[in-house]
Amino acid sequence: MSILKQQSLPSLLAATLVVGSVAGFGSVAIAGSAAPVLEPLDSISMPIPPDNKQTDAKIALGKQLFFDPRLGGDASISCSSCHDPEQGWAWAEDFSRGYPGTVHWRNSQTIINSQYMGRQFWAGAAASGEKQAPSAAKGGVAGNGENDIMEARLALIPEYVTAFNEVFGDEWPLIGNAWRAIASYERTLVQTDTPLDNFLKGDASALSEEQVRGKAVFEGKGGCISCHNGALATNEEYVNIGVPPNVRWQEDGLAQITFRFEQYAKGQTEEGYRHAKSDWGLYYRTKNKWDRSKFRVPSLRYTMYTAPYMHNGVFYTLEEVVDFYDAGGMDSEGRTTLFPENKDARIQPLGLSDDEKADLITFLEAFSGEEMIIDKPSLPEYKALFTEAELKEVKK
Amino acid sequence: MVKKVAKRVSRQKRLLAASLALAVSCTLVGVSHADGALPELEINAAKAELGKRLFFDKRISGDAAISCATCHMPENGYSTNEALSPGYPGNGHFRNSIGLINTAHKKTWLHDGRLGTNLNDVTREMITEDYIMNMDMRIMQERVKQDPKYIEMFEAAGYGEPSNGSVRKAIPEYLKTLTSRGAPYDTGSMSDSAKAGEVVFNEKGCASCHSGALFTDGKAHNTGVPENFDVFLDPMNHQAFIAFTMFQGVENYMALKRDPGAYVQWKKADGSNMGTFMTPSLRELTQTAPYMHNGMLASLGDVVEFYNNGGGEDSNKDSAMQSLEMTNQEKADLVAFLESLSGEALTGPEHVWTEAYPEEYPVIEDWVNQAN
Repeated sequence: MSILKQQSLPSLLAATLVVGSVAGFGSVAIAGSAAPVLEPLDSISMPIPPDNKQTDAKIALGKQLFFDPRLGGDASISCSSCHDPEQGWAWAEDFSRGYPGTVHWRNSQTIINSQYMGRQFWAGAAASGEKQAPSAAKGGVAGNGENDIMEARLALIPEYVTAFNEVFGDEWPLIGNAWRAIASYERTLVQTDTPLDNFLKGDASALSEEQVRGKAVFEGKGGCISCHNGALATNEEYVNIGVPPNVRWQEDGLAQITFRFEQYAKGQTEEGYRHAKSDWGLYYRTKNKWDRSKFRVPSLRYTMYTAPYMHNGVFYTLEEVVDFYDAGGMDSEGRTTLFPENKDARIQPLGLSDDEKADLITFLEAFSGEEMIIDKPSLPEYKALFTEAELKEVKK
Repeated sequence: MVKKVAKRVSRQKRLLAASLALAVSCTLVGVSHADGALPELEINAAKAELGKRLFFDKRISGDAAISCATCHMPENGYSTNEALSPGYPGNGHFRNSIGLINTAHKKTWLHDGRLGTNLNDVTREMITEDYIMNMDMRIMQERVKQDPKYIEMFEAAGYGEPSNGSVRKAIPEYLKTLTSRGAPYDTGSMSDSAKAGEVVFNEKGCASCHSGALFTDGKAHNTGVPENFDVFLDPMNHQAFIAFTMFQGVENYMALKRDPGAYVQWKKADGSNMGTFMTPSLRELTQTAPYMHNGMLASLGDVVEFYNNGGGEDSNKDSAMQSLEMTNQEKADLVAFLESLSGEALTGPEHVWTEAYPEEYPVIEDWVNQAN
């Protein structure tokens, strides 16, 4: 306990590695390297890009823009449509809802704590929040917006014109700065006071007995800690854990359309387009066959509010998730990844007892604090740029 | 389809002789309806039928809420019946959508003439432009591939597997079927007033721009049509205008209070082509009110009055625009002549897709074992 407490001090991060390896940490210690541990979230600081510093005005603007549907194709959906605060800042179905007339093909990830991550999206396709926001707002099955019409809309909202001028010095709002403001706002959406954080910082009463036992399973027999470690409970590596394709692709015409579109949009060979029957994940970025169906290890934080789980939302409960791992990366019907050759060797049957599973699930709940519900901001209105008198004065 | 076109043309040939006789009797030099005949178009019936289904299909737009026919309404001569086109949901528009009857006979398209290649390109622009249909064509292709009826029709049309490229071929093929039919001018059944109006039309100089089979010289002119202030006073329309002028590279677009028109084509440094618009065809006008690029004139009477006054005010106005000093009789006859250039409404099932579209995309069975 005392060691964990020390590790919560950011200044001792380097020392942590030494302490960790010396202390051994029982069954998860790996010979010759530091044993991974969980750490409180406030042991790390939010990375702020040097060219997009946080300011109150920028954050306030970003909050409005996050909720403003005019930053989308038909002005009916905003960032918050798929990242709904009341659905865990995500979307409570397997696939995200998508642009009207479409459905997405991946599970919407929570915004909470997301800006600590080194990269964004399930396969890390965007290097920052500033890059993630436009990709989502413009993607055909997400926001389906285009730069020119979205920028034109901002120019006709006087409150935004003033705010962009004050925050960025824009004469007229530039769409690129909208993404900067949104990323700044998202950097404020963090949760550092979960039961786990409090426990790791020395409050032994923050976890129940069951949760403490669950933590031992997490770090021991379950092996969860080997990937879900550190302050974010993820090592941010890309791993194929054996998640099976979503059966919705076999049953839903709309989902089949998006599936094929994504093969195009993400860059596929003709052969791949014809024969892919699952999401190839990291492959779309690297084009390495050994990267097929690898996805970034997600954070376990805030998961109490973000069901369903996995990149394609195939599991609706934490029980299903734990059973999946216990079975060595297989669902209850024995389905697994279409690329078993890429499946991580660490994913093996665990032989957890029912009590161990129950304790583990209880512990997973400790990664979430209170649900973060906010009052949605009021949105400024359009106003005509010119008066009729000004238009009549024009000499043509 | 091909057969019917051939029949219509042979009827036109018969009318040619009659027209020539009329021209001689009018003692007008260089004017005969021989110039007026629209050339025969070869139409592939299966491709046109496919294009027809696509034209009326809302799934061809981004959020599946509008089809080509939303702005190009058959009952309004395939144009919009309001001054300004509705545009894509979430924004308005800044121009009146042009009637599509005879569009396949044109060489240049859109009020500013910015597309002069072919209807394949025009189709692409309309489908993909964000303030019009805002469609990612990769999604469109996959939607089409999800509809068994389309798979059948693309095959029958000889296109094989549905693709966005063949969507852009099929819609233009359908547009060829939208050709004037039964206009008194073509059938030789013009009223006496219309005949008198034709004389006015030629004597008053209308024909200097409204020439040829389509009654257009295919060039851009400034006639001083007043701006439609709704473009700028309604932020829904103005945002489409801003997005358009920004994309076209028009300088200082945020301060712009007028439609640049064909200026977007070559942006003359002296701005002398600012506010020029392509001479529109005069065929099918009775179906396509309101008039002008921004719908500012409600009736043909208003149009004739506008020209009688020498057009509107603009420093770039074409010098041919002079007050015409027409009598009321001449104006009425001119309107009658313009009306004689309009034929039947093309609103029957031959031109309009009437079958319902599936409410949901059918699932591809045994998906796991089917090639995508």
